[in-house]
Amino acid sequence: MLPFSIEIRPGLPIAEQVLFAVKKAVVMGQLRTGDKFPSVRVLSQELRINPNTAHKVVAQLVEEGVLVTTPAVGSVVAAPALGDRRARAELLGPELERAIVEAKKLGLTVEDVQAAVAAHWRKLSDNSKP
Amino acid sequence: MNAIETTGLTCRFRQLEAVHSLDLTVPAGSVYALLGPNGAGKSTTIKMLMNLLRPTGGTARVLGTNSLQLSPAEFARIGYVAETIDLPEWMSVRQFLDYCRPFYKKWDRELEKTLLAKFDLPPARKIKHLSRGMRMKTLLLSVLAYRPDLLVLDEPFSGLDPVVRDDFIRGVLEVSSLGDWTVFVSSHDIEEVERLADWVGLIDGGRLKLAERLDSLQQRFRRIEVTRANGSTPPTQRPAHWLGWEDAGSLTRFIETQYKPDETEKLCAEIFPGANVTAQPLPLREIYLSLARGNTAPQPVAALR
Repeated sequence: MLPFSIEIRPGLPIAEQVLFAVKKAVVMGQLRTGDKFPSVRVLSQELRINPNTAHKVVAQLVEEGVLVTTPAVGSVVAAPALGDRRARAELLGPELERAIVEAKKLGLTVEDVQAAVAAHWRKLSDNSKP
Repeated sequence: MNAIETTGLTCRFRQLEAVHSLDLTVPAGSVYALLGPNGAGKSTTIKMLMNLLRPTGGTARVLGTNSLQLSPAEFARIGYVAETIDLPEWMSVRQFLDYCRPFYKKWDRELEKTLLAKFDLPPARKIKHLSRGMRMKTLLLSVLAYRPDLLVLDEPFSGLDPVVRDDFIRGVLEVSSLGDWTVFVSSHDIEEVERLADWVGLIDGGRLKLAERLDSLQQRFRRIEVTRANGSTPPTQRPAHWLGWEDAGSLTRFIETQYKPDETEKLCAEIFPGANVTAQPLPLREIYLSLARGNTAPQPVAALR
């Protein structure tokens, strides 16, 4: 099993989808600093994706500082780059857009949505690091 | 280096030209999917590559060797799986593997054992008593066990149930290593291909219509939806690279085949002044369909009275 949630959908490049899922897992606390990250081989087999794609994903994550590779252990999740909060917030763009569209359809206001977000935030704070 | 390279490859059966002057390049290390409808020439192409069929024109090089001169030394580096391959029906799975093993120096007994267990194959059962899925898995096992440099799969997923198909893909990925390991697969199963392939070739009527990296293909195709400004009529002038045009009410929908965010936006602003425009990425299935249909719009549904 992979230590992060992902559901690959047709249409978008696979590498982008996996990158997004991993970064989201880091932001949401599913993956924490020091956690072992699956090897290219495991990633490719578990997701049934091309090993070249899996390799590209890992290389990109290392380059972006999300993962660090250590010779004996393989890849582990790096400490989050704190100066990069805006970049991390941008990861939520598509998710937020979906939620906002749904909210508008339901006739909710910004305040309703903010309250709902805050409530969910508190609920999850118990399970993940602040 | 290229794992497969053909120039002007042609195959004619009397009146019928099954494959017409095919120029195909499969880079080493890629997973290359050849897509096309039934009768497009996919199997014929693969048979020529495997020297099972003599081209009537052009040449093919496989792992650097002319296909007509492929020797056992090259075939020991190629794994070929197709439903049409004859298996010795009277042998058991175990006997069949025992029979294959001595032909390959690189045969990996550990891998053979692993795959036998993973594929859930009954070693003592005779091949003639295997189901279709089991036959395909047996065949796949017999080629994966020697870790070929080039894996050629002709319609491997057709008629396999989801569990067997999953086993099959796991098996293929089991021996995958980065670098020069190449897979050439012909298939109908676009969803599976979309996950695995990094190159896509589209063949129709024996001709190669398109050969492109999957990621660049996904970059340049978008479904554009335009909500036109109040009261405006759909424009009659449209660029040739916009396919599958449809209008309904104040909505216009088409497929942009040369998508670049800035340029597409500018073009849309010129053609649809004051409209609201959205661009959605397309699954490979839709890209395939839009190319197969070309510029003919889907048949309009007769208006209800």
